[in-house]
Amino acid sequence: MNPRAWLPRGYLFTVLGIAVGVAGLVALGAMAERISRFIEGGDRFVLGQISVAGEGMGMGAGFTAGGLLRSAKIGEIARVPGVAAVQPQVMLPLRTSTSQFLTLTQELVLGLDLSVPMPNRNYQVLPVRAGRFLAPGDRGVAVVGADFAASRRLRVGSAVTLDGATFKVVGTLDKTLTAPDRFAFVAIADARDLWLRRDPLLVQVFGAGTLGRADLNSGAAVGWRPGEDPDGLARRIQSAVGGVNVTIPGELSRLLRESTAFFSALLFGIGALGLVIGGLSLSNTVTAAVFERIRDFGIKRALGATDLQLLREVLAEALGVSLSGGAVGVGLALGIGFLVDARVIRQGQQLFLFSPRLLVFALAFALVLGGLAAAYATLRIVRLSPADAIRRGA
Amino acid sequence: MLVRAIGLEKSYGGADGQPIRVLAGVDLEVKAGEFVAIVGASGSGKSTLLNLLGLLEPADAGEIWFDELRVSHLSRRAQARVRGTRIGYVFQSFLLISGMTALDNVLLSARYIGRDRRSALAEAAALMARLGVAHRSGHYPAQLSGGEQQRVAYCRAVLNGPPLVLADEPTGSVDDEHARVILAELRALTRERRASVILVTHRAEAAAEGDRVLRLRDGRLEPA
Repeated sequence: MNPRAWLPRGYLFTVLGIAVGVAGLVALGAMAERISRFIEGGDRFVLGQISVAGEGMGMGAGFTAGGLLRSAKIGEIARVPGVAAVQPQVMLPLRTSTSQFLTLTQELVLGLDLSVPMPNRNYQVLPVRAGRFLAPGDRGVAVVGADFAASRRLRVGSAVTLDGATFKVVGTLDKTLTAPDRFAFVAIADARDLWLRRDPLLVQVFGAGTLGRADLNSGAAVGWRPGEDPDGLARRIQSAVGGVNVTIPGELSRLLRESTAFFSALLFGIGALGLVIGGLSLSNTVTAAVFERIRDFGIKRALGATDLQLLREVLAEALGVSLSGGAVGVGLALGIGFLVDARVIRQGQQLFLFSPRLLVFALAFALVLGGLAAAYATLRIVRLSPADAIRRGA
Repeated sequence: MLVRAIGLEKSYGGADGQPIRVLAGVDLEVKAGEFVAIVGASGSGKSTLLNLLGLLEPADAGEIWFDELRVSHLSRRAQARVRGTRIGYVFQSFLLISGMTALDNVLLSARYIGRDRRSALAEAAALMARLGVAHRSGHYPAQLSGGEQQRVAYCRAVLNGPPLVLADEPTGSVDDEHARVILAELRALTRERRASVILVTHRAEAAAEGDRVLRLRDGRLEPA
């Protein structure tokens, strides 16, 4: 297709100028979207279940490794009125040198007791992209999150080594853009083996016969009955069951939001920066393009064009050019984003999220701002007499 | 159409902030079918007078009448309509739009008065053929010679059959042969269409085409 057929002559650099502005807006917006989705995902997770860990350890550390939650305690929790299900879990950081505070960003092995349905109300079913999720009775198999799989190039049928033990991948998950993307899910029995292999002290305690395998839980996810207030139930568990740490979902959500306040501020800053940079670039380009044609407007008015006719004409052109520039800018940002993400995915990361709402917003932003800039410039020009416009544009 | 200008005045701001008076009460009457040439020294205000008569800029004082219509005091929208339907301009520097082909430039004058595009197209093609630029209709101004650009600009000026044609140094940027073509066309307009033509020029041979020759001096018109 000949671009001249649809792109007004002389507008190529205007389109490119707009494209650069929109690309900046979309790229920064996609980074903001990525961070936002991550924070929202973590919030949804903590609000979907009551997490319980063994006593004596900090919340983050206890939940991910070390705090033992014995089966007797799990039984006591299950008997608290309002509790619908208690799922024992073993959560092990894959790299023990990693700070255990950052449980949302580190790679984890999560052992699940699949005899109990997933109690988290917001993540009852994790989206499987290929293969299947874990089933009761599974041993020696793993289901891996999207980033976990991408960073190791795993697919269904691949073998993956976790803490020296080899597992067969039976399923990969769709991207959730939050913590599970970096998880390897295994049966709880396999996770207990990994834990024993990793912790010599635990082996000694276990060998002394004071513990059974069912006692090897780093925590439990607790679900509640319909209509139950989760925060109230969490407090009842805390008072009814001694020797456990219970998270209050509402409080944890608040803590999470407070601890991510910096990221939220960063997010706002990135978004504002994107709007300012993209907006200024776009409006400046469109305004300059209209002012460049001041002589043409003078000629057209000499030929009988009214202010309204000129405004309509300029708006139509500006919208066409802004849309073209917007589309090219979106394409440019997508290209850059995919190239960068293809590189950082090796570390199991993703920097950009090009959500449909972002792309629609960017195009709408380009159209509205392009139209406003063109209207502003045109209204400035039509205030001149045709002779003045011709003289100034000469 | 009878064109009358009464007491036209125009000043511009000078570099020192003092107004420079260019027109100091110009009176002019041009009958239908009359060819009037206006001469004068450079900077005497010839082009300014043409701009006022063509409603391209407002006068500081005075009135302009087309027949019984006082066009100088119409609304912006009404003046735009008058420019599109009653006035044709031929400029020294052609003033073609660089992003449009020669044909589109000619058709531009039909666009804003809502003429049927098909009839305008047929008329534009015939006009361009008569002026010898039909074969250049798909070319952009930068691809045309000065003479060709002036002929295209002339086609644009007369496409709507305006009763008043204002020509500002139309032969100033073209060679003698092209100048003769344009002058002959302007003269033919007065005969065939009874159009009034006001020509501003500094060339004696161009001024000689006029039924009347006026000189602009000290902001006023006088017989040359």
